[in-house]
Amino acid sequence: MEKVGAVMVVGAGIGGSQSALDLGDSGYKVYLIESTTSIGGVMAQLDKTFPTNDCAMCIVSPKLVETGRHQNIDLSINCEILNVSGEAGNFTVKVKKNSLYINPDICTGCGVCGRNCPVEAIDLFNEGLARYHATSVKYPQAVPLVYAINKEYCIGCGVCAGVCKAKAVEYDRDDEIVDINVGAIILAPGFDEFVPQAANKYGYGKFKNVVTSIEFERILSASGPYAGKVLRPSDGDIPEKVAFLQCIGSRDYTGEGQPYCSSVCCMYTAKEAVIAHEHQHEVKPTIFSMDIRAYGKDFDKYIIKAQEEYGVRYIRSRISSVTEIPETKDLRLRYETEDGKVIEEDFNMVVLSVGLNPPNDAKYLAEKFGIELNEYSFAKTDIFNPVQTTKAGIFACGAFSQPKDIPETVTQASAAAGCVNQLLYEKRGTLITEKSLPPEIFVAGQPPRIGVFICHCGINIGGYVDVPEVTRYAKTLPNVVMSDRNLYTCSADTQGIIKEKIEEFHLNRVIVASCTPRTHEPLFQETIREAGLNRYLFQMANIRDQCSWVHMKQPEQATQKAKDLVRMAVNKARQIAPIDRIKLPVTKKALVIGGGITGMVAALNFASQQIDTYLVEREAELGGFAKYIYHTLEGGDVQAYLKDLINQVKSNKFINVYTNAELEELNGYIGNFKSTVIYGEKNERAEFDHGVVVVATGANEYKPKEYLYGQNENVILQSEFEEMLNTDSIIKNKKSVVMIQCVGSRNEEHPYCSKMCCAEAIKNALLVKKINPSTEVTILFRDIRTYGFKEKYYRKAREEGIIFIRYDENSPPEISTENSSLNVNVNSVKAGNLSIPADLLVLSAGIVASHEDNEELAKMLKVPLNDDNFYLEAHVKLRPVDFATEGVFVAGLAHCPKTIEDSISQANAAVSRACTILSKDEIEAEGKTAVIDVARCIGCGMCVENCAYNAIELIEDRRFGLVASINQALCKGCGACSGNCRCSAIDILGFTAEQIYAMITGRL
Amino acid sequence: MDFEPKILGFLCNWCSYAGADLAGVSRMQYPPNIRVIRVMCSGRIDPQFIFEALRVGADGVIVLGCHLGDCHYLEGNYEAEKKFDMVKRFLKLINFDNRVRLDWVSASEGARYAQVITEFTDHIKALGPSPIGGDNPDKKILNNLKAIEDAASGDRMRALVGRERKITEQENVYGEQVDLEKFNKVFDSAIVEEYQRHRILVSLEEDTKSIKSLAAELEIDPSVVLEHIVCLKSRGQIDFGEFMGITPMFFKM
Amino acid sequence: MTETVLEEKKVDKNWEPKIVAFLCNWCSYAGADLAGVSRIQYPPNIRIVRVPCSGRVNPYFIIKSLTDGWDGVVISGCHPGDCHYISGNLVARRRFAILKELLEFFGIEPGRVNFMWASAAEGERFAVLIRKATKIVKELGPNTKFQREWC
Repeated sequence: MEKVGAVMVVGAGIGGSQSALDLGDSGYKVYLIESTTSIGGVMAQLDKTFPTNDCAMCIVSPKLVETGRHQNIDLSINCEILNVSGEAGNFTVKVKKNSLYINPDICTGCGVCGRNCPVEAIDLFNEGLARYHATSVKYPQAVPLVYAINKEYCIGCGVCAGVCKAKAVEYDRDDEIVDINVGAIILAPGFDEFVPQAANKYGYGKFKNVVTSIEFERILSASGPYAGKVLRPSDGDIPEKVAFLQCIGSRDYTGEGQPYCSSVCCMYTAKEAVIAHEHQHEVKPTIFSMDIRAYGKDFDKYIIKAQEEYGVRYIRSRISSVTEIPETKDLRLRYETEDGKVIEEDFNMVVLSVGLNPPNDAKYLAEKFGIELNEYSFAKTDIFNPVQTTKAGIFACGAFSQPKDIPETVTQASAAAGCVNQLLYEKRGTLITEKSLPPEIFVAGQPPRIGVFICHCGINIGGYVDVPEVTRYAKTLPNVVMSDRNLYTCSADTQGIIKEKIEEFHLNRVIVASCTPRTHEPLFQETIREAGLNRYLFQMANIRDQCSWVHMKQPEQATQKAKDLVRMAVNKARQIAPIDRIKLPVTKKALVIGGGITGMVAALNFASQQIDTYLVEREAELGGFAKYIYHTLEGGDVQAYLKDLINQVKSNKFINVYTNAELEELNGYIGNFKSTVIYGEKNERAEFDHGVVVVATGANEYKPKEYLYGQNENVILQSEFEEMLNTDSIIKNKKSVVMIQCVGSRNEEHPYCSKMCCAEAIKNALLVKKINPSTEVTILFRDIRTYGFKEKYYRKAREEGIIFIRYDENSPPEISTENSSLNVNVNSVKAGNLSIPADLLVLSAGIVASHEDNEELAKMLKVPLNDDNFYLEAHVKLRPVDFATEGVFVAGLAHCPKTIEDSISQANAAVSRACTILSKDEIEAEGKTAVIDVARCIGCGMCVENCAYNAIELIEDRRFGLVASINQALCKGCGACSGNCRCSAIDILGFTAEQIYAMITGRL
Repeated sequence: MDFEPKILGFLCNWCSYAGADLAGVSRMQYPPNIRVIRVMCSGRIDPQFIFEALRVGADGVIVLGCHLGDCHYLEGNYEAEKKFDMVKRFLKLINFDNRVRLDWVSASEGARYAQVITEFTDHIKALGPSPIGGDNPDKKILNNLKAIEDAASGDRMRALVGRERKITEQENVYGEQVDLEKFNKVFDSAIVEEYQRHRILVSLEEDTKSIKSLAAELEIDPSVVLEHIVCLKSRGQIDFGEFMGITPMFFKM
Repeated sequence: MTETVLEEKKVDKNWEPKIVAFLCNWCSYAGADLAGVSRIQYPPNIRIVRVPCSGRVNPYFIIKSLTDGWDGVVISGCHPGDCHYISGNLVARRRFAILKELLEFFGIEPGRVNFMWASAAEGERFAVLIRKATKIVKELGPNTKFQREWC
């Protein structure tokens, strides 16, 4: 069957949106299918995100707007999958688009229908804490901003059709069934949170002040029902004592919940506790947990900060029941402390940290798409490729395959797109249509001829602002040659009118006074471009969101304000000029630094798309850290996988491998890098051009100075132990093995978790028991962090009789030697001082990054490192494999400690991100960038320091000496440089100082 | 002294008013407590008229129209019936529903008119004076009635009562007939919710208040007050004021 | 603006201040939009100028606003750490810390120029901050400092 250059993405949460954007940017037609009425998923519900406390809405909404507007993404909401046929490369999916009863092409999202709907129903987005109407939109910033009628609640009174001035309500609008032909499918349906059963021991549903964590998230949200005030539902008071109960529905073997660990709850709970305290200082949070699983990048630091700066109290205990005190509606918790004391304590509010369940329709989806589910009803995926489902051509990302947090989801979303690239790369660009546009009209130097279009927005503006008056006023302003008003300026017919007026009046600047440029500027820019004007000859005055809607009771003042805003826009428009976006050629070749599993997977992915790839490895052999790993915890044969990978890399004609190699020099920028490599035993030199860089330099195992390592032959590292178990039978002679966790992790020197040591220890312990069941194995730990499905093996280890003893950070185990035998003395939190004889002491040493090595490369690439010397990505949540410097990507252990599977996902994700560049012949740089007036520049270098994108450097100018120079390809146009420039030598196109002065001066 | 109730009557021009005239022409005697306001049709009666009459101290209000099917304007009295039904449901909340009555009197029923008026006057007499009439009206009931008046005249109630007949007896915009039970469920919850929300608004007119004090004053569960507060806030009718310790105060915008 | 106009303004009890607000595109401008979508009312005295980032706001924009007769200036960006451009708002914060002292040295009353943070989800907070800023500027009265003494 012929392959198809289109991809379907099912589920438009943050994962699905990321996949769609990557693929859309790489030249595929994308069908993004969403079951609810807007995209954004759970992330749009969140208030803040850990570990940076970023505002979720601030970071997600630009991405959602981009998804909604992308010309290669066909977004369908309110959909159901009916049937799937075909095979990898050519699937046909039958999709039912359920009617919204509102025409999405006409609906402007103004919300008049919702405000007038007489039927109230529960607001699911606010988790039942507020109401919405039968006609509604999920949340105010929803994408697409289209209202929908919930037929289940609607009584068909017809009020909405009456009040809708745009005539968008269509009660006879039918469901639509379409067949969509695609080459690959990505499933990203996310998860559903665990909902405690009707009669649960926590009193959820019965006691008003017991809420789930997702409900609490809405309580915290500034745009939530309580406007960000932390109030308790029973009486609206601030709860001073809030208890968070962990593992609700997770790590639960009673059958009520799920046996696995939901991975994200420890962190989101810490975040909710911190944010609650930040919103209302009266709130004193207490978190009841078993282990604190803060295994991700910078997570441990967050937990420490929560405790030390925000006074969050942690108690290691699992609460078995909650009772309510009827008079106060406070809640009484009974718990046992680690040393066995039973304590009763009252709290004002209880938050249940609910786990992540597979999506409710997982079985349905699996059946339709013909994929298998695992024992927990999540998507079953390949052991070494966590985005590959059991069916070729169908990929899964995000929480559908295992509970995971946002950056892991985003990584997998890009990884799935990366795998799609491998399958469909020849078909890139075959199904997308490039718009043909007329040549731009030359306007430079001509006097401004401004046209002003003022929008009534139904009654949203016209009801409060005297639009005819504003229109008359606009006409009196200098250089305005026409002004007109429209019922809806954004409607399709008005776009035609705008084009006609441009021609009729020879307009060379266009102003629209209506809603917000954040959502509507691109639409109008497209319109004027179609009429032959440069996109940047456009201005918007926001007289709805920032005027009529917020001054509804002061129509006169609102009208005056609208006039002022229009005048300010006119003043700016008189100063604006066309901006040309510069185009940069792209060298379609890739450089991968590091020849471990991550680097090789990335190189192979590039190569399978026939992209020439240079793989640079410092050591003599490929393989990296994986050379010392035999199996994964889940039983994957790492050695066989590695051997296969090395063979593939070596035999691939698109991959040039340099071993014993060091990068000597790297220059250039996105699409146009030039590198020099010294390689081989004879120190040969190679030079090549490439368009992107993937950093996969890995990390090292910590070499302990503690616990007699290197002094006593019976003290070995976990990796050495693994080799011993897999190559030798010496373990049969050992009666007792003791393992110590967190050696070189989570301490002052390395204040982070190395993520894989718990799994490694349990894997080796289980192997010991398999080889010789009589060998006693004791694991001394601080927290067991077997997140996700790895929890199963922790349970298994306990069942097999492996002894787990928790020690406190402040009293680590001590080793004594008598004769030649070792004795481990540990102060157990539960059982006091213990002395354990050990034939073998195994140290779970952490993962460390080398400052010297990484810093050198980081400087060359102009990318930052974090405090622990791992590479720092562009954005912790949403750009996990990108650097702020464009065209450079990071994957694997170089980013932070992680498992093999995660490294492979990151490698594929980095390739996907890189392909958004390499798939194009040339890339367009942002038009609104900084420009420099070299005659004014004194070369002080302040701007170089302030630029977060390394877009500025100081160069020697022939006439002016040392001056700043801006790389247009890297500049994002933020203006941090310009704001600080002491000699006003830097200006920002589109926001020039002249333009801003024009707005603030000339006031009447 | 015997209690002489003040009764207000709304009479439709074509049937009941003519019936009253006939009673006069026929010299039929009935109690003198009623004061009549002529309207063109019983469908003209805005629920607000009735609430306003009660608020200013009427002890009883009676609405009289043509018999069903006889309306001069074809269906005006059917509409009147629906609106009056809403009035009754609202007034039941403050135990005032037996101070109002809707009845039909045709132009030829002079005797019936006299009988209806006599009966209603006796009925009101038996009930005694309105607690909000006279010089010392019960403030609490007065406030509740104000809340009812505001609630009933809001867009939500008007939309529902205005569409009720069409969608339950004929068909709605989807061409379906809405089950009366489903409609009543929506309608009843709307009445209770709007009543309580407007009670909160009326109460907040006096002063800024906390949820707990509102709950105690209005005898509603505080958690329900909070839900209404959330809704009123989203409608832009109230806002957070200062916090008294851990307790937020609310004020009317 | 002439002095006579200012004199007249002073006696006018209904005097309303004019305030210019520089809002960053990604957080505060979006927050102002959200206030609109949520119909949260605030005084109509501000005129918003959209800039890509609070880091774009040159101190001279603020001084220019004051010399041009605006009675108050508001600069609002993303919360520290939230910047769409990684560190633009931190650059702005350092810059404004210095400017604030300079303005006070010039005799510009504290409160006439307000630096604040509002995120895209904080429509409510945006409205509250604007109410507060408007109230303060109103109490301060018309801005005469730069006009009278410097221009």
